[in-house]
Amino acid sequence: MRALYSILIFMLAIVMLQACANDFGDALQEVVKSNTTWETGTKSNEVSTSNAAKSESKPAFNLQSPSKQEEIQIGREITGNLLGAAPLVNDAELQNYVNKVGRWVANQGERADLPWHFGIIESEDINAFAAPGGYVIITKGLYRKLENEAQLAGVLSHEIAHVIKSHHLKILQKSQLLDYGANLLGKQLGKDNQVIQKLIGRGAEVCARSLDKSAEFEADRMGVVLTTRAGYEPYGLPEVLQTIGQTSNDASSLALLFKTHPHPDDRLVKLDDAIGNRLDNIKDGKTLSERFYHLKN
Amino acid sequence: MKIYKFLLLLVALLLPGVSIASEMGSALKADIIRAEPYSDAKKTGDFARGDKLEIISKKGAWLKVKTTKDSGWVRLLSVKRGASKGGNATSDILKLASGRAGTGQVVATTGVRGLNEEELKAAKYNATEVKKLESYTQTSMQGQQFAQSGGLKAVIFSYLPESQNKGEK
Repeated sequence: MRALYSILIFMLAIVMLQACANDFGDALQEVVKSNTTWETGTKSNEVSTSNAAKSESKPAFNLQSPSKQEEIQIGREITGNLLGAAPLVNDAELQNYVNKVGRWVANQGERADLPWHFGIIESEDINAFAAPGGYVIITKGLYRKLENEAQLAGVLSHEIAHVIKSHHLKILQKSQLLDYGANLLGKQLGKDNQVIQKLIGRGAEVCARSLDKSAEFEADRMGVVLTTRAGYEPYGLPEVLQTIGQTSNDASSLALLFKTHPHPDDRLVKLDDAIGNRLDNIKDGKTLSERFYHLKN
Repeated sequence: MKIYKFLLLLVALLLPGVSIASEMGSALKADIIRAEPYSDAKKTGDFARGDKLEIISKKGAWLKVKTTKDSGWVRLLSVKRGASKGGNATSDILKLASGRAGTGQVVATTGVRGLNEEELKAAKYNATEVKKLESYTQTSMQGQQFAQSGGLKAVIFSYLPESQNKGEK
């Protein structure tokens, strides 16, 4: 009896899936469109486009290439939960400043089409978070460690790279909840946040999950490149990693960062391997320490 | 007298460009010390992984360092700033100067909001804060204007492959 019931539900899901196939077709077009407006023809661009093409021949909801709107919706939900744990620092000047730096850096990547949002939150922990769709959050504790605009750009670049490479979406894709939530998502998006809530798990726990080490190293490499492209001194991110590496390993403010990331020393060695002498010709990068916004408290 | 010395040190530390003067560091890997901050400059010495170094100044991607026997320029990424063992007077003073002393410890004891796993899991969606966050959003054009006002110019530079020219240095 129970088996029969499950089969019925399964069939119902298939019918629903077909019912929303048309909607999804529109969403796909949007993905393809937004892909073609991306700035540079890099590898990730090609991959996403081919993913979109693949799913076009098989019209089922596929989180491998969610529409831009769906991606933003997921990121908004995660960020909203994170802000529930720690609100924004109440300093409009600071938040505007960070958004300007972040927006300029994001312009240098393949997802300049996203409506990027950046925020500094009230927490003395040292950490930074990225969520799908262009949401980037830095703690006040980490901001405190920064000395100039190039270092801020470096930290933001690392998080922007996670978004560009959909690293957190991929984590969600692996989770079991995904299969349950996926076909409902296409249908009820925007109407029922509970569906997305089911998808992302409890609160902002996805922010406490570790990515693959290789994803962190990749975000470091891309971060240095995005910082460089934006005209900043390329070593903004490595300098911050140096500073964090200097902070005592057992400081509670670093507990979560160290749990979810490779040690800063390992990240620096990996960066050094990748950079070699490639940055030797970049000589006009700016640190803009005179423009750097200092916290009021 | 002691205070006088301290203040003098503080002033020296806060002067731009001298701020990392006489900071200690340790080698993240074995590398070559060169006479000038260029990869084809003459070799003046070398060091092994874990060696202690004194960091004298910084220029772009290079640090001027002093070991027990040699001095010269080395790639920034070969060196970990800060002494790995023992006291680090310089960085402590820097922390004092910037009002950062003891931040890590304070967090644990005064109940300043942290962000541990449990707190993240228990977090509830905050719609007001999301709206606030989105109200600060800048357009691509605004970002560009901001860059221009700081004299930033976009540079064409390709992504870095995972690892390359390991043996070249």
